[in-house]
Amino acid sequence: MKRTLSILENTLLVLLFAVMFGFAVFQIVARNLFGSGLVWGQDLVQVAMLWVTMVGAYVAVGDNRHIRIDIIARFGGKRLQAIAIRLTALFAATLCAALGWYAIEFVRWDFIDNVPGFASVPAWVCESIIPVAALAMALRFLLQAIWPPSEPPA
Amino acid sequence: MIWAGVALLILMALLGAPLFVVVLGAAMLGFLAEGVDLGVIAVDINALTQKPLLVALPFFTFAGYVMSAANTSQRLMALTRALFGWMPAGLAVVSLVVCALFTALTGASGVTIVALGGLLLPMLVSSGYSGKFGLGLVTSSGSLGLLVVPSVPLILYGIVAQQMNVGEPFSIQQLFAAGLAPTLLMVLLLSLYAIWRHGDAPRVKFETCALWQALKAVRWELPLPVVVLGGVFSGYFAISEAAAVTVVYVLIAEVVLYREVALRDLPGIVRQSMVMVASILLILGVALAFTSYLVDVEVPQRLFDFLKEHIKDKLTFLILLNLMLLALGAILDVFSAIVIMVPLLLPIAVGYGIHPLHFGIIFLANLEIGYFTPPIGINLFISSYRFNRPMLDLYAACLPFMLVMLAALLLITYVPWFSLWFLGF
Repeated sequence: MKRTLSILENTLLVLLFAVMFGFAVFQIVARNLFGSGLVWGQDLVQVAMLWVTMVGAYVAVGDNRHIRIDIIARFGGKRLQAIAIRLTALFAATLCAALGWYAIEFVRWDFIDNVPGFASVPAWVCESIIPVAALAMALRFLLQAIWPPSEPPA
Repeated sequence: MIWAGVALLILMALLGAPLFVVVLGAAMLGFLAEGVDLGVIAVDINALTQKPLLVALPFFTFAGYVMSAANTSQRLMALTRALFGWMPAGLAVVSLVVCALFTALTGASGVTIVALGGLLLPMLVSSGYSGKFGLGLVTSSGSLGLLVVPSVPLILYGIVAQQMNVGEPFSIQQLFAAGLAPTLLMVLLLSLYAIWRHGDAPRVKFETCALWQALKAVRWELPLPVVVLGGVFSGYFAISEAAAVTVVYVLIAEVVLYREVALRDLPGIVRQSMVMVASILLILGVALAFTSYLVDVEVPQRLFDFLKEHIKDKLTFLILLNLMLLALGAILDVFSAIVIMVPLLLPIAVGYGIHPLHFGIIFLANLEIGYFTPPIGINLFISSYRFNRPMLDLYAACLPFMLVMLAALLLITYVPWFSLWFLGF
């Protein structure tokens, strides 16, 4: 289960990176060979970057790679550390869930108003990764609060 | 109620909650107090897609990770040694130059200490430098190069500062130019210190043959600075395009020409580098929301008015700024410090008549020192772990280097010319 999830995350990240990188390069080549790239090429690259960010942030929760000030984790005792990990994970889960909830509202309004994104892709599709990743992060933090990761933060 | 929320946030930050969560909480708290719908936070995260320059960050970071996976550091060292090894304290000077260049390419993520320090420290010791000197040198130069093109923190500062739209407008190219002289000054002062301490260390004779060998080994990577600098400064490419071209070039060099990075290694490198970039960009996204709240309620303006009453002159402000940033640099990593503190401090600095370019250089130079400031500068931990030495040894080893860097910082802070010479200051 854990392995499958990790492979899935990897594939998704690599695919998104490939889209971002591929189109960025394509735009440069096209501009120099044909005088202009795709009208929506740059938009696609930037939306891909948002997706890389949100998916990467989700992966970072599992890998324990989010940036933190870990004074207590470094200098505190084992008992305090164990409590701190659970408490902060629960706190993070709550705020990510709140972010996810309000992001759904944001996406819903853009859906109702039919806001254009790039090419023929509507804006709400591009934005949908924000609530999805936020809720996925909330779930992952919640699981960490219940079953703390065995390794302390790097 | 609000203050209870603030206290909770601070407690959670100290207990080790991810910083993006803390900033997210701060933004939510602010908007709640103002009665603003929290949906704006999602809007601000989505605004990451409206900054074309931002794409440069994942590309440069990925290129840096690929080079860390290859033997770039060894080749770079051989070349610098052949070039500068004949000088007094030559090996120390070599170490400084190589660390600065490698950090610029890979970002101050600790990889300089891990990859280069492991090579340099034994070499320094076996060439007659004291172990303490070597340890201090390797640890403190792990962040040298933060101000050199195409360092990611430098670009990030540019993005955040331009977003604020205060003071004199500037281009990213100008920001890159601003970082050069201060870095040279730091390397120069550190070199002088090394010569003073270890000027009698054995030197390497300058040999054309050795230089030729080193040049031959590095031939595929040698054009890289031309690609990056040419791409950035010619105006032919946008910065984000130059970053994409850099990735193409690095992939061809390391995967195809040197064959040091296998194709099957790339997915792992993508994962590692993108997770790191994502954690920075997400903080940036929520910090944008927090900043828009701060600007709404005029926090920078009020802070400036308050300070102006107590601090009349620019000089006192600069001294206080340095002290505060040094402390900050020891507890916050460079990226979080930029996205969280620049929006607060830049408007104040501009109010005191400081050029945004100069402020950026002061800000980053401070953080550079913060990286190895006891007790919790991150480089100290990395070195302690890498070289298996107790933290107290590292504090003692880094102290002289810190003093030299502080001298450089003072010059950079009080002589704007170092950062602004090309503007005719």
